[in-house]
Amino acid sequence: MSKISPRQLLFFLAFVAPVGKIVLMPSQLVFYAKNDLLFPALIHYALQTGVVFLVMLLSRRNQTLFEMLRATFGDVGGKICCAILGLFFFFSALLPVLEQKLLVQSVFYDTLPSLLSFLPFFLFSAYLLSKPLSAYGRTWDLLMPVTLVGFLGLMIFSVGEADFLALLPVGASGASGIFRATTSSSSWFFDGALLLTFIGKFKYEKGLAWKSALCYFLGGCAVLFFLAVFYASFSDSAIFQTFAFAKISKYFSGITVLGRIDYLFIFLLSLTMAFYTVIPMRACVSCFRETFSHRGVPALYACTVSAVMLLLSVLFTSSFGTVRDAITGPLFWIFPLFSGLLPCACFLLRRSHEKKI
Amino acid sequence: MKEIVGNRERDVNALKQLLPLEDVLFTTYATENGIAFTVVYLDPLTDKAVLGEQVVRPLLCYRGEGNATALSARLTAPELKSTKEFSVLVEEILAGNSAILFEGGDEAIVAGTKKVFVRAVAEPPTDIALKGPREGFIEDVKINASLVRRRLKTPDLKVETLSVGTRSNASVCIFYLDGIADRKTVEQVKAKLKKINVDVLPDSSYLTRFLSERPRSLVKQVGTTEKPDIFCAKIAEGRVGILVDGSPVALTVPYLLVEDFQSAEDYFVPSYRATMVRILRVFALIVAIYAPAFYIAAQLFKLQLIPVKLLLTIAGSIRHIPLSPSLEMLLVLLVLEVLNEASIRMPKYVGMALSVVGALVLGETAVSAGFVSTPAIIIIAFSGIGLYAVPNLIEVTSVLRLCMLLVAGSVGPYGIILFTAFILFYLTATESFGTPVLAPFSPVVKSDLYDSLVRYHFDALAMRPRSLKSKNRRRAKKGE
Repeated sequence: MSKISPRQLLFFLAFVAPVGKIVLMPSQLVFYAKNDLLFPALIHYALQTGVVFLVMLLSRRNQTLFEMLRATFGDVGGKICCAILGLFFFFSALLPVLEQKLLVQSVFYDTLPSLLSFLPFFLFSAYLLSKPLSAYGRTWDLLMPVTLVGFLGLMIFSVGEADFLALLPVGASGASGIFRATTSSSSWFFDGALLLTFIGKFKYEKGLAWKSALCYFLGGCAVLFFLAVFYASFSDSAIFQTFAFAKISKYFSGITVLGRIDYLFIFLLSLTMAFYTVIPMRACVSCFRETFSHRGVPALYACTVSAVMLLLSVLFTSSFGTVRDAITGPLFWIFPLFSGLLPCACFLLRRSHEKKI
Repeated sequence: MKEIVGNRERDVNALKQLLPLEDVLFTTYATENGIAFTVVYLDPLTDKAVLGEQVVRPLLCYRGEGNATALSARLTAPELKSTKEFSVLVEEILAGNSAILFEGGDEAIVAGTKKVFVRAVAEPPTDIALKGPREGFIEDVKINASLVRRRLKTPDLKVETLSVGTRSNASVCIFYLDGIADRKTVEQVKAKLKKINVDVLPDSSYLTRFLSERPRSLVKQVGTTEKPDIFCAKIAEGRVGILVDGSPVALTVPYLLVEDFQSAEDYFVPSYRATMVRILRVFALIVAIYAPAFYIAAQLFKLQLIPVKLLLTIAGSIRHIPLSPSLEMLLVLLVLEVLNEASIRMPKYVGMALSVVGALVLGETAVSAGFVSTPAIIIIAFSGIGLYAVPNLIEVTSVLRLCMLLVAGSVGPYGIILFTAFILFYLTATESFGTPVLAPFSPVVKSDLYDSLVRYHFDALAMRPRSLKSKNRRRAKKGE
């Protein structure tokens, strides 16, 4: 009961992973790239699709990342690598958690709610983090239709109000704008690194690498379509629409008669998002468990990570902007390093190791 | 003394010591050639006419040798056996059968003279069908077994009987189709039943906690039915069925949550109708659980969730209500639950009066007095009706509805989302005899989706569900 099926992994890549990219990232892209917001996203998706492909090739030997690290760097070296990876995943989980907290407080409540409104998330995460990966896999099976209905619903409501001419002329923001947008949005693209923690936890089957890359890219295409509709709906004011998916359908003509029925779809996507936000924290927990040789019960690690995250989210209550600027600004390089270079390095190390054998 | 010694007087005395009960009667007779024999039986449970006609009368005319085999050959009772063990004799006598001890015999004869008190086979009140069979199980396990046998006339239908309860010694019958049911599941069921150590087993529902992997879980892990046609259909799919003497409720394992959204009638109507009804049941259940919670969350935290015109109507209704929306909803829900509980227990003629009191006095008067608002009553009434669309899940869903209401009242819409996520995650991790209860949706089993919330044409149902790990998956040739 500790493994997932390849199908569940594909569902994660196609239906769960894209959801984290439609909250704050769209407005962040517009800030630098304006109507060229599709290009930085496309660059990220192209690179991450390659990384996903490499990681899946790595998984052919049915060896976990930690087994690979131990085989390459020895016991102590492997543990140090695990600890560093654990810290990275904790760091990468910070932005999605804060992002979600802000989303919850802004979108789900008319008045500014108390801090307690987001507290249940940490109870939820503590529970989830203590469970094996197979339970997540089964949940991804369920989240597939949830995300699909949520996404399609929002798109149907919003695409009619979109003016796609707003995306023209192409390249108006220039190469520097696209480059700045690419670097500043790198904190949303660490799926390759996340996938590293899944290897060895599913049975590799022929063609899975291609299928995974394709599914990830299809998920990316959905995000690109969302970004296009988003900019086409709001044009230059898109920069102020911070919680893109919760606002994209607000101009739907039926809302005046039916009320905000688009909230139904927003709720569905938020359900998927709640699970997605826990994934980097889960990766962090599994890295730390490896570091400490699985000493102590899983719940201990789960509660500790959730509690520290809760503490940080309380600390950064009024300084989310500063944290986001730091993560998307001077600290952006951490993400390509771990989610791009690390999987490539693992792949090359594995190959050289195989050649020696 | 554990075994019969062959001296009738000593054996009778030993039995009297083991059964010092006033209603256990010892009557001594002699055969025509002078062999003395004592008939021992439990007065209230023994059919004296059968005992007299089929046991005592033939023995009185007997002239042959005094051994169990020869004596048994003279008896006309259909159920006969001989035993040396006193423990077996005690068990049989307490079950209503008669023991015959005779002079010089080193074995006693046990004759099946049990008086069976049964009600007629009738339609179960919890599972009424407009189309299809209307028979329901009753409390007698033998009659229930005959209802099953009548539908599955195959030597592959295996029935294994165990005795559960150190004092009640209730017969528990395990039914499965050999070559179709997963052998591992059958063995697991037997092992779990053998491990049970309780003194009395009053009903099959007691068994569910012993058969469940998470006995304290809110989620069902054992299927239940009162209808032999459903029971047989489940056995034919590869499940293992359990019948308990004294209980009209049959159990089936492995259990899938989707079972409770299906009814026997779905297979007697066209597939599009069956699909529509199943989806309607899901919708009803979702409304039952979420409607009160969303109403509260919208009122307290996010008014935008309600359309403007409806919001104005609600605002007019709740203007003079002294209670907070959460408290008001909880109060109405409490009244509904009390009314529901009372109407089930009350005699029918009082129940009619209760409906009048509930609907008119409590509903109408409470609204006009300004205690509760009309929208709250409408929502709870709709939720109450929705809950009964899936009667097998009422215990679970009524608790979930209350929890959802509390979460919505305290945390708001995000609480509803997180609680839903928690339930989904919890459900995905729950298994019944190694089968995930959310199958075929999680994990996705494509071939089983043809008969899940949708029901395809019978052509598509040629295979047994893969989730049940049946050894022989084909149940019909395609196109037949």
